[in-house]
Amino acid sequence: MEERIRSQSEPRGVSSALLLETHGLTRHFGGLAAVNRVDLRVAEGEIVGLIGPNGAGKTTCFNLLSGFIRPTAGTIRFHGEDISRLRPHQVVKRGLVRTFQLTTLFQELTGLENVLLGLHLHSRRSLGRALFSRRRFPPDEVARSREVLEFTGLASQADQLARNLPHGHQRVLGIAMALAARPRLLLLDEPVTGMNLDESGRVMALVKTIRDRGVTVLLVEHNMKAVMGTCERIVVLNFGQTLAEGSPAEVSTNAKVIEAYLGAGLAHARG
Amino acid sequence: MRRLRVGVLIVLVLLMLLVPQLGGDYYVHVFALVFTNVILAASLRPSLTCGQLNIGHSAFMSVGAYASALLAKNLAVSFEVSMLCGALLAAVVGLVIGYPSLRLRGVYFAMVTVAFVEVIRLIAQLWVPLTRGMSGLSGIPKPNLLGVTLVTKASQYYLALFLMLLTLLILWKLESSRLGLIWKSIGMADNLAQSLGVNIANHKLLAFLLGCFFAGVAGAFYAHFIRFLFPPEFGFLMATNILVYNYVGGRGHFAGPIVGAAFLSLLSEPFRGSAYETIFFSIAMLLTILFLPGGLITLPGKLAELRGWKSASAHSPSPAA
Repeated sequence: MEERIRSQSEPRGVSSALLLETHGLTRHFGGLAAVNRVDLRVAEGEIVGLIGPNGAGKTTCFNLLSGFIRPTAGTIRFHGEDISRLRPHQVVKRGLVRTFQLTTLFQELTGLENVLLGLHLHSRRSLGRALFSRRRFPPDEVARSREVLEFTGLASQADQLARNLPHGHQRVLGIAMALAARPRLLLLDEPVTGMNLDESGRVMALVKTIRDRGVTVLLVEHNMKAVMGTCERIVVLNFGQTLAEGSPAEVSTNAKVIEAYLGAGLAHARG
Repeated sequence: MRRLRVGVLIVLVLLMLLVPQLGGDYYVHVFALVFTNVILAASLRPSLTCGQLNIGHSAFMSVGAYASALLAKNLAVSFEVSMLCGALLAAVVGLVIGYPSLRLRGVYFAMVTVAFVEVIRLIAQLWVPLTRGMSGLSGIPKPNLLGVTLVTKASQYYLALFLMLLTLLILWKLESSRLGLIWKSIGMADNLAQSLGVNIANHKLLAFLLGCFFAGVAGAFYAHFIRFLFPPEFGFLMATNILVYNYVGGRGHFAGPIVGAAFLSLLSEPFRGSAYETIFFSIAMLLTILFLPGGLITLPGKLAELRGWKSASAHSPSPAA
Protein backbone atom coordinates (compact mmCIF):
# COMPACT_ATOMS: atom_id res chain seq x y z
CA MET A 1 0.00 0.00 0.00
CA GLU A 2 2.89 2.34 0.71
CA GLU A 3 3.60 2.88 -2.99
CA ARG A 4 0.02 3.73 -3.66
CA ILE A 5 -0.38 6.38 -1.01
CA ARG A 6 -1.40 9.62 -2.59
CA SER A 7 -1.10 12.94 -0.94
CA GLN A 8 -4.40 13.96 0.59
CA SER A 9 -4.28 17.38 -1.03
CA GLU A 10 -4.17 16.02 -4.55
CA PRO A 11 -7.51 16.60 -6.22
CA ARG A 12 -9.38 13.47 -7.03
CA GLY A 13 -12.54 12.57 -8.85
CA VAL A 14 -13.73 12.28 -12.39
CA SER A 15 -11.09 14.68 -13.67
CA SER A 16 -8.22 12.22 -13.12
CA ALA A 17 -7.12 9.49 -15.48
CA LEU A 18 -9.45 6.73 -16.60
CA LEU A 19 -8.53 3.46 -14.88
CA LEU A 20 -11.19 1.03 -16.06
CA GLU A 21 -13.22 1.28 -19.22
CA THR A 22 -15.57 -1.25 -20.71
CA HIS A 23 -16.92 -0.86 -24.18
CA GLY A 24 -20.09 -2.68 -25.24
CA LEU A 25 -19.47 -5.35 -22.60
CA THR A 26 -21.88 -8.23 -23.26
CA ARG A 27 -22.31 -11.70 -21.86
CA HIS A 28 -24.96 -14.17 -22.95
CA PHE A 29 -25.99 -17.24 -20.96
CA GLY A 30 -27.87 -19.31 -23.52
CA GLY A 31 -30.45 -16.92 -24.90
CA LEU A 32 -30.26 -14.53 -21.96
CA ALA A 33 -28.10 -11.42 -22.10
CA ALA A 34 -27.02 -11.20 -18.48
CA VAL A 35 -24.89 -8.17 -19.31
CA ASN A 36 -25.84 -6.24 -22.42
CA ARG A 37 -23.65 -3.55 -24.03
CA VAL A 38 -22.50 -1.98 -20.80
CA ASP A 39 -20.09 0.95 -21.01
CA LEU A 40 -18.54 1.39 -17.62
CA ARG A 41 -15.96 4.03 -16.77
CA VAL A 42 -14.05 4.27 -13.52
CA ALA A 43 -11.52 7.05 -13.00
CA GLU A 44 -8.51 6.77 -10.73
CA GLY A 45 -9.35 7.65 -7.13
CA GLU A 46 -13.11 7.26 -7.35
CA ILE A 47 -15.53 5.22 -5.26
CA VAL A 48 -18.13 3.99 -7.71
CA GLY A 49 -21.24 2.03 -6.76
CA LEU A 50 -22.81 -0.53 -9.07
CA ILE A 51 -26.42 -1.09 -8.06
CA GLY A 52 -29.55 -2.59 -9.49
CA PRO A 53 -32.37 -4.97 -8.63
CA ASN A 54 -31.67 -8.70 -8.23
CA GLY A 55 -30.66 -10.28 -11.52
CA ALA A 56 -29.60 -6.98 -13.03
CA GLY A 57 -26.20 -8.38 -13.97
CA LYS A 58 -23.99 -6.89 -11.26
CA THR A 59 -22.27 -10.11 -10.25
CA THR A 60 -21.88 -11.20 -13.88
CA CYS A 61 -20.24 -7.82 -14.44
CA PHE A 62 -17.77 -8.50 -11.61
CA ASN A 63 -17.06 -11.99 -12.93
CA LEU A 64 -16.32 -10.49 -16.36
CA LEU A 65 -14.06 -7.77 -14.99
CA SER A 66 -12.07 -10.21 -12.85
CA GLY A 67 -11.62 -12.75 -15.65
CA PHE A 68 -13.71 -15.56 -14.18
CA ILE A 69 -15.91 -15.55 -17.26
CA ARG A 70 -15.17 -14.25 -20.74
CA PRO A 71 -17.30 -11.64 -22.49
CA THR A 72 -19.44 -12.71 -25.44
CA ALA A 73 -18.70 -9.32 -26.97
CA GLY A 74 -17.10 -6.04 -26.00
CA THR A 75 -13.81 -5.11 -24.40
CA ILE A 76 -12.47 -4.35 -20.94
CA ARG A 77 -9.55 -1.96 -20.76
CA PHE A 78 -7.63 -1.56 -17.55
CA HIS A 79 -5.05 1.20 -17.56
CA GLY A 80 -5.23 1.24 -21.33
CA GLU A 81 -4.58 -2.49 -21.69
CA ASP A 82 -7.19 -4.90 -23.03
CA ILE A 83 -7.74 -7.46 -20.27
CA SER A 84 -10.96 -9.05 -21.55
CA ARG A 85 -9.27 -12.32 -22.51
CA LEU A 86 -7.06 -12.75 -19.43
CA ARG A 87 -7.51 -15.44 -16.81
CA PRO A 88 -8.25 -14.47 -13.19
CA HIS A 89 -4.69 -14.76 -11.86
CA GLN A 90 -3.42 -12.63 -14.75
CA VAL A 91 -6.01 -9.93 -14.08
CA VAL A 92 -4.93 -9.72 -10.44
CA LYS A 93 -1.33 -9.28 -11.54
CA ARG A 94 -2.32 -6.04 -13.26
CA GLY A 95 -3.79 -4.66 -10.05
CA LEU A 96 -7.49 -5.41 -10.39
CA VAL A 97 -8.46 -7.40 -7.30
CA ARG A 98 -11.92 -8.59 -6.31
CA THR A 99 -13.63 -9.89 -3.20
CA PHE A 100 -16.51 -12.36 -3.15
CA GLN A 101 -20.07 -12.27 -1.95
CA LEU A 102 -20.78 -13.91 1.38
CA THR A 103 -17.88 -15.35 3.28
CA THR A 104 -15.55 -16.86 0.73
CA LEU A 105 -12.44 -17.34 2.84
CA PHE A 106 -9.92 -20.07 3.51
CA GLN A 107 -12.00 -21.23 6.45
CA GLU A 108 -9.53 -23.71 7.95
CA LEU A 109 -6.61 -21.27 7.94
CA THR A 110 -5.86 -18.49 10.41
CA GLY A 111 -6.46 -14.82 9.71
CA LEU A 112 -2.74 -14.29 9.26
CA GLU A 113 -2.42 -17.21 6.83
CA ASN A 114 -5.36 -15.88 4.83
CA VAL A 115 -3.64 -12.52 4.44
CA LEU A 116 -0.30 -14.21 3.68
CA LEU A 117 -2.04 -15.86 0.74
CA GLY A 118 -3.20 -12.43 -0.34
CA LEU A 119 0.48 -11.52 -0.63
CA HIS A 120 0.94 -14.36 -3.09
CA LEU A 121 1.93 -12.18 -6.03
CA HIS A 122 4.45 -10.22 -4.01
CA SER A 123 6.22 -13.07 -2.30
CA ARG A 124 9.50 -14.54 -3.35
CA ARG A 125 9.06 -18.26 -3.49
CA SER A 126 10.91 -21.18 -4.95
CA LEU A 127 11.26 -24.87 -4.32
CA GLY A 128 14.77 -24.28 -2.98
CA ARG A 129 13.54 -21.72 -0.50
CA ALA A 130 10.76 -24.06 0.59
CA LEU A 131 13.18 -26.95 1.11
CA PHE A 132 16.11 -25.24 2.76
CA SER A 133 14.73 -22.27 4.67
CA ARG A 134 14.31 -22.77 8.39
CA ARG A 135 11.40 -20.35 8.58
CA ARG A 136 7.92 -21.15 7.26
CA PHE A 137 7.44 -17.65 5.88
CA PRO A 138 9.88 -14.78 5.32
CA PRO A 139 9.64 -12.38 8.30
CA ASP A 140 8.99 -9.39 6.04
CA GLU A 141 5.92 -11.09 4.58
CA VAL A 142 4.60 -11.88 8.04
CA ALA A 143 5.23 -8.29 9.12
CA ARG A 144 3.49 -7.00 6.01
CA SER A 145 0.47 -9.25 6.67
CA ARG A 146 0.26 -8.07 10.27
CA GLU A 147 0.32 -4.49 8.99
CA VAL A 148 -2.68 -5.18 6.76
CA LEU A 149 -4.51 -6.87 9.64
CA GLU A 150 -3.72 -3.86 11.83
CA PHE A 151 -4.99 -1.46 9.16
CA THR A 152 -8.28 -3.34 8.83
CA GLY A 153 -8.70 -3.67 12.60
CA LEU A 154 -8.20 -7.42 12.72
CA ALA A 155 -4.83 -7.49 14.49
CA SER A 156 -6.21 -9.35 17.50
CA GLN A 157 -7.73 -12.03 15.26
CA ALA A 158 -4.49 -12.95 13.48
CA ASP A 159 -4.23 -16.42 14.99
CA GLN A 160 -7.92 -17.35 14.94
CA LEU A 161 -9.19 -19.78 12.34
CA ALA A 162 -11.20 -17.83 9.78
CA ARG A 163 -14.29 -19.96 10.37
CA ASN A 164 -14.32 -18.99 14.04
CA LEU A 165 -14.46 -15.26 13.35
CA PRO A 166 -17.75 -13.38 13.68
CA HIS A 167 -19.52 -12.68 10.39
CA GLY A 168 -18.52 -9.00 10.23
CA HIS A 169 -14.85 -9.80 10.79
CA GLN A 170 -14.95 -12.53 8.15
CA ARG A 171 -16.12 -10.01 5.59
CA VAL A 172 -13.39 -7.55 6.58
CA LEU A 173 -10.81 -10.34 6.37
CA GLY A 174 -11.91 -10.83 2.76
CA ILE A 175 -11.10 -7.17 2.11
CA ALA A 176 -7.79 -7.46 3.98
CA MET A 177 -6.70 -10.33 1.73
CA ALA A 178 -7.56 -8.31 -1.37
CA LEU A 179 -5.59 -5.37 0.03
CA ALA A 180 -2.55 -7.56 0.59
CA ALA A 181 -2.53 -8.20 -3.15
CA ARG A 182 -1.92 -4.43 -3.59
CA PRO A 183 -4.81 -3.47 -5.84
CA ARG A 184 -5.05 -0.37 -7.98
CA LEU A 185 -8.73 -1.09 -8.38
CA LEU A 186 -10.62 -2.98 -5.71
CA LEU A 187 -13.88 -4.69 -6.66
CA LEU A 188 -16.00 -5.24 -3.56
CA ASP A 189 -18.94 -7.62 -3.98
CA GLU A 190 -21.57 -6.77 -1.35
CA PRO A 191 -19.13 -5.79 1.40
CA VAL A 192 -21.76 -4.90 4.02
CA THR A 193 -24.67 -7.20 3.18
CA GLY A 194 -25.97 -8.89 6.30
CA MET A 195 -24.24 -6.47 8.67
CA ASN A 196 -25.87 -4.31 11.30
CA LEU A 197 -25.78 -0.51 11.12
CA ASP A 198 -22.72 -0.21 13.32
CA GLU A 199 -20.67 -2.82 11.42
CA SER A 200 -21.62 -1.51 7.99
CA GLY A 201 -20.70 2.03 9.07
CA ARG A 202 -17.24 0.84 10.07
CA VAL A 203 -16.70 -1.06 6.83
CA MET A 204 -17.76 1.90 4.72
CA ALA A 205 -15.38 4.12 6.69
CA LEU A 206 -12.66 1.56 5.93
CA VAL A 207 -13.55 1.72 2.23
CA LYS A 208 -13.08 5.51 2.32
CA THR A 209 -9.71 5.15 4.04
CA ILE A 210 -8.64 2.62 1.43
CA ARG A 211 -9.55 5.08 -1.32
CA ASP A 212 -7.74 7.90 0.47
CA ARG A 213 -4.66 5.71 0.38
CA GLY A 214 -4.88 5.67 -3.39
CA VAL A 215 -6.91 2.59 -4.25
CA THR A 216 -9.86 3.08 -6.59
CA VAL A 217 -13.01 1.23 -5.48
CA LEU A 218 -15.89 -0.24 -7.45
CA LEU A 219 -18.53 -1.85 -5.28
CA VAL A 220 -21.76 -3.77 -5.63
CA GLU A 221 -24.10 -3.38 -2.67
CA HIS A 222 -27.76 -3.70 -1.80
CA ASN A 223 -27.58 -1.59 1.35
CA MET A 224 -28.67 1.74 -0.14
CA LYS A 225 -27.77 3.78 2.91
CA ALA A 226 -24.19 2.51 2.67
CA VAL A 227 -24.01 3.07 -1.08
CA MET A 228 -25.48 6.60 -0.99
CA GLY A 229 -23.25 7.60 1.90
CA THR A 230 -19.99 6.35 0.42
CA CYS A 231 -20.02 6.37 -3.37
CA GLU A 232 -19.32 9.50 -5.35
CA ARG A 233 -20.83 8.09 -8.49
CA ILE A 234 -23.40 5.40 -9.00
CA VAL A 235 -24.15 3.24 -12.01
CA VAL A 236 -27.56 1.56 -12.07
CA LEU A 237 -27.98 -1.69 -13.99
CA ASN A 238 -31.32 -3.21 -14.93
CA PHE A 239 -31.83 -6.31 -17.10
CA GLY A 240 -28.15 -6.24 -17.96
CA GLN A 241 -28.17 -2.70 -19.29
CA THR A 242 -27.11 0.64 -17.89
CA LEU A 243 -30.25 2.40 -16.68
CA ALA A 244 -28.78 5.52 -15.15
CA GLU A 245 -25.52 7.01 -14.00
CA GLY A 246 -24.67 9.96 -11.79
CA SER A 247 -24.18 11.27 -8.29
CA PRO A 248 -26.16 9.65 -5.45
CA ALA A 249 -28.57 12.59 -5.46
CA GLU A 250 -29.15 12.40 -9.21
CA VAL A 251 -29.63 8.65 -9.20
CA SER A 252 -31.99 8.56 -6.23
CA THR A 253 -34.33 11.08 -7.86
CA ASN A 254 -34.15 9.52 -11.33
CA ALA A 255 -37.66 8.41 -12.32
CA LYS A 256 -36.41 5.37 -14.27
CA VAL A 257 -34.42 4.15 -11.28
CA ILE A 258 -37.35 4.52 -8.91
CA GLU A 259 -39.51 2.66 -11.40
CA ALA A 260 -37.00 -0.19 -11.68
CA TYR A 261 -36.75 -0.57 -7.93
CA LEU A 262 -40.29 0.09 -6.84
CA GLY A 263 -42.39 -0.67 -9.90
CA ALA A 264 -44.07 1.67 -12.34
CA GLY A 265 -47.17 2.29 -10.20
CA LEU A 266 -45.31 3.99 -7.40
CA ALA A 267 -43.28 6.13 -9.77
CA HIS A 268 -46.53 7.39 -11.24
CA ALA A 269 -47.97 7.93 -7.81
CA ARG A 270 -45.00 10.09 -6.92
CA GLY A 271 -45.61 11.99 -10.10
CA MET B 1 4.38 -30.04 23.22
CA ARG B 2 6.80 -29.48 20.37
CA ARG B 3 9.62 -31.02 22.38
CA LEU B 4 7.43 -34.04 23.18
CA ARG B 5 6.69 -34.55 19.50
CA VAL B 6 10.37 -34.32 18.54
CA GLY B 7 11.14 -36.83 21.31
CA VAL B 8 8.53 -39.28 20.06
CA LEU B 9 9.92 -38.93 16.53
CA ILE B 10 13.48 -39.66 17.66
CA VAL B 11 12.36 -42.75 19.61
CA LEU B 12 10.40 -43.98 16.59
CA VAL B 13 13.37 -43.56 14.26
CA LEU B 14 15.65 -45.36 16.76
CA LEU B 15 13.17 -48.23 16.99
CA MET B 16 13.03 -48.45 13.21
CA LEU B 17 16.85 -48.55 13.10
CA LEU B 18 16.79 -51.48 15.52
CA VAL B 19 14.20 -53.63 13.70
CA PRO B 20 16.80 -55.82 11.88
CA GLN B 21 18.59 -56.42 15.21
CA LEU B 22 15.41 -57.21 17.15
CA GLY B 23 13.38 -59.15 14.60
CA GLY B 24 14.19 -61.70 11.96
CA ASP B 25 14.07 -61.44 8.19
CA TYR B 26 10.29 -61.69 8.29
CA TYR B 27 9.90 -58.39 10.16
CA VAL B 28 12.54 -56.76 8.00
CA HIS B 29 10.57 -57.75 4.92
CA VAL B 30 7.23 -56.59 6.30
CA PHE B 31 8.56 -53.24 7.49
CA ALA B 32 10.35 -52.50 4.24
CA LEU B 33 7.00 -52.92 2.47
CA VAL B 34 5.33 -50.74 5.10
CA PHE B 35 7.87 -48.01 4.33
CA THR B 36 7.09 -48.32 0.61
CA ASN B 37 3.41 -47.90 1.39
CA VAL B 38 4.17 -44.86 3.54
CA ILE B 39 6.01 -43.22 0.63
CA LEU B 40 3.07 -43.96 -1.66
CA ALA B 41 0.48 -42.62 0.77
CA ALA B 42 2.43 -39.48 1.70
CA SER B 43 3.20 -38.67 -1.93
CA LEU B 44 -0.51 -38.66 -2.77
CA ARG B 45 -1.17 -36.03 -0.12
CA PRO B 46 -0.14 -32.83 -1.99
CA SER B 47 -2.56 -33.66 -4.80
CA LEU B 48 -5.33 -34.53 -2.35
CA THR B 49 -4.70 -31.28 -0.49
CA CYS B 50 -5.33 -29.42 -3.76
CA GLY B 51 -8.69 -31.16 -3.91
CA GLN B 52 -7.73 -33.60 -6.68
CA LEU B 53 -9.06 -37.10 -6.15
CA ASN B 54 -6.36 -39.27 -7.72
CA ILE B 55 -7.44 -42.93 -7.83
CA GLY B 56 -4.55 -43.96 -10.02
CA HIS B 57 -1.43 -43.47 -7.97
CA SER B 58 -0.28 -47.09 -8.35
CA ALA B 59 0.17 -46.50 -12.10
CA PHE B 60 3.10 -44.18 -11.39
CA MET B 61 4.58 -46.71 -8.98
CA SER B 62 4.33 -49.24 -11.80
CA VAL B 63 6.13 -46.92 -14.23
CA GLY B 64 8.95 -46.35 -11.74
CA ALA B 65 9.19 -50.03 -10.91
CA TYR B 66 9.34 -51.28 -14.51
CA ALA B 67 11.69 -48.52 -15.67
CA SER B 68 14.16 -49.06 -12.84
CA ALA B 69 13.98 -52.85 -13.09
CA LEU B 70 14.53 -52.91 -16.87
CA LEU B 71 17.41 -50.43 -16.69
CA ALA B 72 19.16 -52.47 -14.00
CA LYS B 73 18.43 -55.82 -15.57
CA ASN B 74 19.20 -55.06 -19.22
CA LEU B 75 21.77 -52.27 -18.95
CA ALA B 76 23.28 -53.00 -15.52
CA VAL B 77 22.59 -49.48 -14.36
CA SER B 78 23.20 -48.88 -10.65
CA PHE B 79 20.24 -48.41 -8.31
CA GLU B 80 20.63 -44.70 -7.63
CA VAL B 81 20.56 -43.96 -11.38
CA SER B 82 17.82 -46.42 -12.29
CA MET B 83 15.68 -45.20 -9.39
CA LEU B 84 16.05 -41.56 -10.45
CA CYS B 85 15.28 -42.46 -14.05
CA GLY B 86 12.22 -44.43 -12.96
CA ALA B 87 10.99 -41.58 -10.77
CA LEU B 88 11.60 -38.99 -13.50
CA LEU B 89 9.84 -41.15 -16.07
CA ALA B 90 6.89 -41.46 -13.69
CA ALA B 91 6.84 -37.67 -13.42
CA VAL B 92 7.01 -37.26 -17.21
CA VAL B 93 4.13 -39.70 -17.65
CA GLY B 94 2.36 -37.70 -14.93
CA LEU B 95 2.93 -34.53 -16.93
CA VAL B 96 1.46 -36.08 -20.06
CA ILE B 97 -1.65 -37.31 -18.26
CA GLY B 98 -1.89 -34.43 -15.75
CA TYR B 99 -1.53 -31.43 -18.03
CA PRO B 100 -4.79 -31.96 -19.91
CA SER B 101 -6.79 -33.63 -17.14
CA LEU B 102 -6.01 -31.42 -14.14
CA ARG B 103 -8.34 -28.84 -15.63
CA LEU B 104 -11.13 -31.28 -14.89
CA ARG B 105 -12.71 -31.04 -11.49
CA GLY B 106 -13.62 -33.56 -8.82
CA VAL B 107 -15.14 -36.74 -10.10
CA TYR B 108 -14.11 -36.14 -13.74
CA PHE B 109 -10.45 -36.04 -12.82
CA ALA B 110 -10.94 -39.14 -10.65
CA MET B 111 -12.42 -40.97 -13.64
CA VAL B 112 -9.43 -40.12 -15.81
CA THR B 113 -7.04 -41.49 -13.19
CA VAL B 114 -9.05 -44.71 -12.86
CA ALA B 115 -8.92 -45.23 -16.61
CA PHE B 116 -5.22 -44.43 -16.58
CA VAL B 117 -4.39 -47.18 -14.07
CA GLU B 118 -5.97 -49.69 -16.41
CA VAL B 119 -4.12 -48.29 -19.42
CA ILE B 120 -0.75 -48.62 -17.67
CA ARG B 121 -1.61 -52.12 -16.46
CA LEU B 122 -2.58 -53.18 -19.97
CA ILE B 123 0.61 -51.73 -21.43
CA ALA B 124 2.66 -53.71 -18.90
CA GLN B 125 0.59 -56.79 -19.70
CA LEU B 126 0.70 -56.53 -23.50
CA TRP B 127 4.20 -55.21 -24.20
CA VAL B 128 5.54 -58.73 -23.79
CA PRO B 129 8.99 -58.31 -25.43
CA LEU B 130 9.87 -55.62 -22.87
CA THR B 131 7.90 -56.46 -19.72
CA ARG B 132 7.36 -60.22 -20.26
CA GLY B 133 3.64 -59.48 -19.82
CA MET B 134 1.66 -61.88 -17.65
CA SER B 135 4.65 -64.16 -17.14
CA GLY B 136 5.95 -61.41 -14.90
CA LEU B 137 9.32 -59.73 -14.93
CA SER B 138 11.76 -61.81 -12.91
CA GLY B 139 15.49 -61.80 -12.32
CA ILE B 140 15.63 -58.16 -11.29
CA PRO B 141 19.01 -57.54 -9.64
CA LYS B 142 19.28 -56.61 -5.98
CA PRO B 143 19.80 -52.89 -5.44
CA ASN B 144 23.35 -51.90 -6.35
CA LEU B 145 23.96 -48.66 -4.49
CA LEU B 146 27.12 -46.66 -5.25
CA GLY B 147 28.90 -49.80 -6.45
CA VAL B 148 27.87 -51.94 -3.49
CA THR B 149 25.23 -54.62 -3.95
CA LEU B 150 22.86 -54.72 -0.99
CA VAL B 151 22.78 -58.48 -0.55
CA THR B 152 21.09 -58.88 2.82
CA LYS B 153 17.47 -58.12 3.56
CA ALA B 154 18.62 -55.96 6.45
CA SER B 155 20.69 -53.66 4.23
CA GLN B 156 17.74 -53.32 1.83
CA TYR B 157 15.58 -52.51 4.81
CA TYR B 158 17.88 -49.62 5.68
CA LEU B 159 17.67 -48.40 2.09
CA ALA B 160 13.85 -48.38 2.36
CA LEU B 161 14.04 -46.56 5.68
CA PHE B 162 16.39 -43.95 4.23
CA LEU B 163 14.21 -43.42 1.16
CA MET B 164 11.10 -43.05 3.30
CA LEU B 165 12.68 -40.59 5.70
CA LEU B 166 14.11 -38.51 2.86
CA THR B 167 10.77 -38.45 1.02
CA LEU B 168 8.89 -37.50 4.17
CA LEU B 169 11.41 -34.76 4.98
CA ILE B 170 11.06 -33.21 1.52
CA LEU B 171 7.27 -33.46 1.50
CA TRP B 172 7.09 -32.06 5.02
CA LYS B 173 9.28 -29.07 4.18
CA LEU B 174 7.16 -28.34 1.12
CA GLU B 175 3.89 -28.70 2.95
CA SER B 176 4.94 -26.39 5.76
CA SER B 177 6.19 -23.74 3.35
CA ARG B 178 4.18 -21.19 1.38
CA LEU B 179 3.71 -23.84 -1.29
CA GLY B 180 1.79 -26.03 1.16
CA LEU B 181 -0.34 -23.06 2.14
CA ILE B 182 -1.18 -22.50 -1.53
CA TRP B 183 -2.13 -26.18 -1.95
CA LYS B 184 -4.46 -25.92 1.05
CA SER B 185 -5.96 -22.70 -0.30
CA ILE B 186 -6.71 -24.33 -3.67
CA GLY B 187 -8.40 -27.24 -1.89
CA MET B 188 -10.51 -24.92 0.25
CA ALA B 189 -11.62 -22.26 -2.25
CA ASP B 190 -9.97 -22.34 -5.65
CA ASN B 191 -11.88 -19.30 -6.94
CA LEU B 192 -10.59 -17.19 -4.07
CA ALA B 193 -7.04 -18.48 -4.60
CA GLN B 194 -7.31 -17.46 -8.26
CA SER B 195 -8.58 -14.04 -7.31
CA LEU B 196 -5.41 -13.54 -5.26
CA GLY B 197 -3.25 -14.29 -8.26
CA VAL B 198 -2.57 -18.00 -7.75
CA ASN B 199 -2.13 -19.88 -11.02
CA ILE B 200 -4.10 -22.86 -9.82
CA ALA B 201 -3.50 -25.01 -12.90
CA ASN B 202 0.28 -24.82 -12.45
CA HIS B 203 0.16 -25.45 -8.71
CA LYS B 204 -2.13 -28.45 -9.08
CA LEU B 205 0.21 -29.83 -11.72
CA LEU B 206 3.27 -29.35 -9.51
CA ALA B 207 1.57 -31.12 -6.58
CA PHE B 208 0.55 -33.95 -8.90
CA LEU B 209 4.04 -34.34 -10.43
CA LEU B 210 5.68 -34.44 -7.01
CA GLY B 211 3.37 -37.32 -6.15
CA CYS B 212 4.22 -39.13 -9.39
CA PHE B 213 7.95 -38.71 -8.77
CA PHE B 214 7.87 -40.19 -5.28
CA ALA B 215 5.50 -42.97 -6.35
CA GLY B 216 8.20 -43.77 -8.91
CA VAL B 217 10.80 -43.86 -6.11
CA ALA B 218 8.61 -46.29 -4.15
CA GLY B 219 8.15 -48.41 -7.26
CA ALA B 220 11.88 -48.56 -7.96
CA PHE B 221 12.64 -49.76 -4.46
CA TYR B 222 9.83 -52.29 -4.62
CA ALA B 223 11.13 -53.70 -7.90
CA HIS B 224 14.65 -54.36 -6.58
CA PHE B 225 13.38 -55.58 -3.23
CA ILE B 226 10.73 -58.10 -4.36
CA ARG B 227 12.67 -58.71 -7.63
CA PHE B 228 9.55 -59.79 -9.44
CA LEU B 229 6.97 -57.55 -11.14
CA PHE B 230 3.52 -58.69 -12.15
CA PRO B 231 1.25 -56.19 -13.97
CA PRO B 232 -2.05 -56.79 -12.07
CA GLU B 233 -0.31 -55.99 -8.79
CA PHE B 234 -0.32 -52.29 -9.66
CA GLY B 235 -3.98 -52.24 -10.57
CA PHE B 236 -7.01 -50.39 -9.33
CA LEU B 237 -6.96 -52.23 -5.99
CA MET B 238 -3.56 -50.91 -4.97
CA ALA B 239 -4.52 -47.42 -6.14
CA THR B 240 -7.59 -47.41 -3.92
CA ASN B 241 -5.52 -48.77 -1.03
CA ILE B 242 -3.21 -45.74 -1.29
CA LEU B 243 -6.25 -43.49 -1.15
CA VAL B 244 -7.68 -45.44 1.79
CA TYR B 245 -4.39 -44.97 3.70
CA ASN B 246 -4.94 -41.21 3.41
CA TYR B 247 -8.56 -41.26 4.51
CA VAL B 248 -8.18 -43.77 7.34
CA GLY B 249 -5.07 -42.00 8.64
CA GLY B 250 -6.66 -38.58 8.32
CA ARG B 251 -6.64 -35.80 5.78
CA GLY B 252 -6.10 -32.96 8.24
CA HIS B 253 -2.43 -33.45 9.07
CA PHE B 254 0.82 -34.47 7.42
CA ALA B 255 1.02 -37.49 9.74
CA GLY B 256 -2.34 -38.82 8.49
CA PRO B 257 -1.20 -40.86 5.48
CA ILE B 258 1.87 -42.08 7.41
CA VAL B 259 -0.25 -43.37 10.27
CA GLY B 260 -2.85 -44.76 7.88
CA ALA B 261 -0.33 -46.61 5.73
CA ALA B 262 1.58 -48.03 8.70
CA PHE B 263 -1.55 -49.05 10.59
CA LEU B 264 -3.37 -50.66 7.68
CA SER B 265 -0.39 -52.43 6.15
CA LEU B 266 0.68 -53.88 9.48
CA LEU B 267 -2.82 -54.91 10.48
CA SER B 268 -3.66 -56.43 7.10
CA GLU B 269 -0.38 -58.36 7.01
CA PRO B 270 -2.02 -61.68 8.06
CA PHE B 271 -4.45 -61.40 5.12
CA ARG B 272 -1.89 -60.24 2.54
CA GLY B 273 -2.63 -61.61 -0.91
CA SER B 274 -5.91 -63.24 0.09
CA ALA B 275 -9.42 -62.03 -0.67
CA TYR B 276 -9.80 -61.08 2.99
CA GLU B 277 -7.41 -58.17 2.48
CA THR B 278 -10.00 -56.28 0.44
CA ILE B 279 -12.71 -57.00 3.00
CA PHE B 280 -10.41 -55.83 5.75
CA PHE B 281 -9.70 -52.56 3.95
CA SER B 282 -13.38 -51.94 3.32
CA ILE B 283 -14.27 -52.51 6.95
CA ALA B 284 -11.44 -50.27 8.15
CA MET B 285 -12.60 -47.51 5.80
CA LEU B 286 -16.24 -47.85 6.90
CA LEU B 287 -15.40 -47.85 10.59
CA THR B 288 -13.21 -44.77 10.23
CA ILE B 289 -15.82 -42.82 8.29
CA LEU B 290 -18.46 -43.73 10.86
CA PHE B 291 -16.55 -43.18 14.07
CA LEU B 292 -13.51 -41.07 13.21
CA PRO B 293 -14.34 -38.88 10.23
CA GLY B 294 -11.07 -36.99 10.78
CA GLY B 295 -9.07 -40.21 10.58
CA LEU B 296 -6.90 -42.10 13.07
CA ILE B 297 -4.82 -39.02 13.86
CA THR B 298 -7.84 -37.50 15.59
CA LEU B 299 -8.12 -40.50 17.92
CA PRO B 300 -5.91 -39.11 20.75
CA GLY B 301 -7.87 -35.86 20.75
CA LYS B 302 -11.18 -37.73 20.76
CA LEU B 303 -10.03 -39.90 23.67
CA ALA B 304 -8.85 -36.88 25.66
CA GLU B 305 -12.19 -35.20 24.98
CA LEU B 306 -14.03 -38.29 26.17
CA ARG B 307 -11.94 -38.51 29.34
CA GLY B 308 -12.40 -34.80 30.04
CA TRP B 309 -16.12 -35.16 29.59
CA LYS B 310 -16.21 -38.15 31.97
CA SER B 311 -14.21 -36.47 34.69
CA ALA B 312 -16.22 -33.28 34.28
CA SER B 313 -19.46 -35.18 34.76
CA ALA B 314 -17.99 -36.97 37.76
CA HIS B 315 -16.92 -33.71 39.43
CA SER B 316 -20.01 -31.65 38.76
CA PRO B 317 -23.22 -33.61 39.35
CA SER B 318 -26.02 -32.73 36.96
CA PRO B 319 -28.54 -30.17 38.26
CA ALA B 320 -31.21 -32.84 38.45
CA ALA B 321 -29.23 -34.86 41.02
